[in-house]
Amino acid sequence: MKHSEIQSRVKKVISEIIEIDAASIPDNANFIFDLGADSVQSVSLVAAFEEEFDIEMDEDKALEIQTVSDAVEFIAGYL
Amino acid sequence: MSQRAIHKSEIETLEKQGCSADVWETVQVKNNFNPACIRNVHFSGRVTIGRCGQDVERAHGFPAKSGVYNCTIRDCSIGDAVYISDVKLLANYEISDNVIIENVASLCVSGETAFGNGVEIEVLNEAGGREIPIFDRLSAQTAYMLTAYRHDALFIEKLKQMIAVYVGTRTSTRGAIGAEAVIRNCGTIHNVLIGPAARIDGALTLKEGTVGGSIHDPVVIGAGVIAEDFIILSGSAVDSGTMLSKCFVGQGVRMGKGFSAENSAFFANCEGFHSEACSVFAGPYTVTHHRSTLLIAGMFSFYNAGSGTNQSNHMYKLGPVHQGILERGAKTGSFSYLLWPSRVGAFTAVVGKHYANFDTADFPFSYITEEEGKSVLTPGMNLFTVGTSRDSRKWPGRDRRRDPEKLDLIHFDLLNPYVTGKMVRGIEQLRLLYEKTPKEKVFVTCAGIQVRRLMLKSGIKYYELAVKIFLGEQLVRLLSEIEAGFSVENVVSHIVHAGEVDFKWVDLAGLLSPKDRIDELMKAVRNEEIFDLDGVHRHMLDIYNAYDAAVRAWFIRLVEVRYDINRSDVTATHLVQILEDWKESAQKLHNMIIKDAYKEFDSSSKIGFGIDGGPEDRDEDFTAVRGMHKTNSFVTDLQAQSQRIEDTAEKWLSVLS
Repeated sequence: MKHSEIQSRVKKVISEIIEIDAASIPDNANFIFDLGADSVQSVSLVAAFEEEFDIEMDEDKALEIQTVSDAVEFIAGYL
Repeated sequence: MSQRAIHKSEIETLEKQGCSADVWETVQVKNNFNPACIRNVHFSGRVTIGRCGQDVERAHGFPAKSGVYNCTIRDCSIGDAVYISDVKLLANYEISDNVIIENVASLCVSGETAFGNGVEIEVLNEAGGREIPIFDRLSAQTAYMLTAYRHDALFIEKLKQMIAVYVGTRTSTRGAIGAEAVIRNCGTIHNVLIGPAARIDGALTLKEGTVGGSIHDPVVIGAGVIAEDFIILSGSAVDSGTMLSKCFVGQGVRMGKGFSAENSAFFANCEGFHSEACSVFAGPYTVTHHRSTLLIAGMFSFYNAGSGTNQSNHMYKLGPVHQGILERGAKTGSFSYLLWPSRVGAFTAVVGKHYANFDTADFPFSYITEEEGKSVLTPGMNLFTVGTSRDSRKWPGRDRRRDPEKLDLIHFDLLNPYVTGKMVRGIEQLRLLYEKTPKEKVFVTCAGIQVRRLMLKSGIKYYELAVKIFLGEQLVRLLSEIEAGFSVENVVSHIVHAGEVDFKWVDLAGLLSPKDRIDELMKAVRNEEIFDLDGVHRHMLDIYNAYDAAVRAWFIRLVEVRYDINRSDVTATHLVQILEDWKESAQKLHNMIIKDAYKEFDSSSKIGFGIDGGPEDRDEDFTAVRGMHKTNSFVTDLQAQSQRIEDTAEKWLSVLS
């Protein structure tokens, strides 16, 4: 899967969980500081990424994902 | 030393010193009586006076001689080296040696009283139906059964009969003040039993109660306290304007700063400050510290109420009839609100305001949050928050009880059969829901609360981690015990012979027990095989002491369930699997907790630091005040523990392979 496609789908997931417009999400946005995600939403994002990409992310490592670009890189490693 | 009547010459001396008596013949003294130590005293009824004239220390360290000064004494027995001064009326008390009583408006017993014993307090349900007759040996466990097991009317009846018999033994027309007690600067103290070494200083009103305690662990009552129909036990301090009405205060409790409570019971190591409690069953380690916090009609243990926590038990229909349960370790965040009835699972954090009525008992270690007015459960999320881990480590070290006899029986294990069993059930429920919920659904309703569909699967993963850790910890405990004679056959032999245990456990306000052991106790009470409170306590103590063996047996049942095998079919392969799962899961969980702790050191945590400087000042100010993540003792402890788990797992894996 292309990097750009992963990024697009990651933003789509984020927009659904945090309820913001996907187009307004910067490529390097931090979930908490830039997008205002709370701790429950941060955990929900991991679950949503798993479902979107049909992967099983390591619970421990997944908590290191703080930004859109982190998520893209992390997910790319599973695909 | 025997008592004698006062000699005529001594009476003359006493009268010159402003003393009088209704009848001097009923006033008795000891042989070496020194009249110089009795001044301005009126005696009424039968009074005996012990040795006086010894050096004592008054308030603020001023020296004085033991004796009786400026008082009216009626029907009292006064021990040796007692100092009594400026008590308007002291009546019907047996006063032990070395007691100091000064500047008290009234300290008397009138009529027959049980000193607060037998007073029925309406806990949990404010409208009644779960009354606990309090007494000075009440444990959290007995209180729990009295409160919660109303389905068994005969058991409750028998238990109440035992309590009534005990209350009879505490009933008298005379009170007692234990040795070395100090009572100063108080208003009215009426029908109150006062234990050894108690310190009562500045209390406004104490009526119908017991201030218990012992020389080892006395009770302290401080300024401005008003208490009526109460029992306060050893090691507790009730201070600074606390108001109690129909309350039980167990061992090692702290109250003060205007805390008020009625119809409530507080067990070991509870803390109540500033706030209000009404019809509350506060199991061990219930803590409420902040103003604007109302705890009402709830049952708690290991509970921390955030500031402004509020609960409602009244929906303006049939009165205040609703009740709520927060299981052990639950927390409520600042200005959280719960509309009873609801039941919150163990170690769950509640944030926001909740008008839904839910029962999340099968989903411990969760978050309950408010999202656009909805109550939302995130199952298992509190497993890896640093607060849960920190709480579980701090409680054992904060047991203030110094009394050799600890009434409340408390198990502290974070992962125990009770909560692990709940997680096993939780996994089943989450799995079923996940399988049957279509993908397009964002939320599903479970146990009366909303769960984000995506979090069903995550919850299963989190609970699986915890269950695997429980299994691994128990296996390592077993392996360590038989290390000297280790062989797989020996391990299996221990597993086969570990005994049977009920898979269902209960948490009796701190005591963790297989359900069938409690059922046995109740049956024995119903059948009168257990016929007194000592018998009940002994049975509880047996359960408490058998905990480790019961946990071992439960662990083996869990192995049977999870691996679908009989215990005699356990092989080295199973043991290796449990250890590998443990190693992986424990390290994962530790890392998740460490990452959660890291949030306490991230840039948002630094907001407000280096207030008038730049980024460097901010970082340096933060480091100076808060320290650094990598050197934080909690984090380094977790890292060390993680390493120990890896080493232990590797050791046993190499042995088993």
